[in-house]
Amino acid sequence: MGELSKGISVGCLNNRVYARVVGRGTFQNSQPLRQFAQEKIDQGQEEFIIDLGPCQGMDSTFLGVLAGIGLRLRQNGPTASIHIVNITPRNMDLLQTLGLDRLFLINADAPALPANADYHPLPDTDITQLKQPLDKEETADLMIEAHDNLVRVDPRNTPKFKELARFLREAVERRHPNGEQKK
Amino acid sequence: MKDFRIDQESRGAVQIIRLAGSLDMYSFPRLESHLNALFQQGRYSLVLDCRDLDYIGSAGLGALIGFAKQAREHNGDLRLLNVPERIYKIIELLGFTKVLKVHQTEDDAVASFQVK
Repeated sequence: MGELSKGISVGCLNNRVYARVVGRGTFQNSQPLRQFAQEKIDQGQEEFIIDLGPCQGMDSTFLGVLAGIGLRLRQNGPTASIHIVNITPRNMDLLQTLGLDRLFLINADAPALPANADYHPLPDTDITQLKQPLDKEETADLMIEAHDNLVRVDPRNTPKFKELARFLREAVERRHPNGEQKK
Repeated sequence: MKDFRIDQESRGAVQIIRLAGSLDMYSFPRLESHLNALFQQGRYSLVLDCRDLDYIGSAGLGALIGFAKQAREHNGDLRLLNVPERIYKIIELLGFTKVLKVHQTEDDAVASFQVK
């Protein structure tokens, strides 16, 4: 992966899944990563390597999506893992603040990002120039799930996100008062 | 990425809090401390001037709702001013414009506290 295009690039090689985040990871580009990771986990992939070296910062939704990937991998047994590599001190601080350093393997003998993995950018993950407007309901659902993940990883996160979680749940409730799902 | 900065000035009973840089999970605790300190001083009429803000995270916005609620319980409010378009789009997408009042000018924002 020579060129660092902004956004999230992914690739697979030798049963490992690679992802690199350039710029910010936020709720605006979390959904494509979540979907990609789900597909790969469903296909049986057990090892994810996430390069946060060029990542300028992450919001709680993005971190919650990473946590969701970690939680799903953990369900698949002890050999499944998510490695975080090249993390900056600032981003490390964020992971530690949310207790995610206990879920991920951080810079721990992670395989180097191979240049010959078939990298490609995930579409519309450069948040500085998103092409498609985000869907309100999908975004709310994603954020609720992501923050639930953060609380599952570390219950001490509950008070940090209680206002956001309450607001989002109330908004979903208003849209679907009888609990029916979006079609 | 610009460093996060907080400046404050008073206009009567209204506190104008000018934010600059990125308001993310890393910098939000500073704003949180600042707002808590104002509440402890009994100052509940607050305007956040976002003109020089280049980013705001989702959790930070959520927490602002909590501060606005606290302020309203004491007959005040927390209102937003000069919200850049890219940030306004986020606020609107997430539905926060329903609970956080947004003003275009400082005079409007300050005057809105006198009209209840």
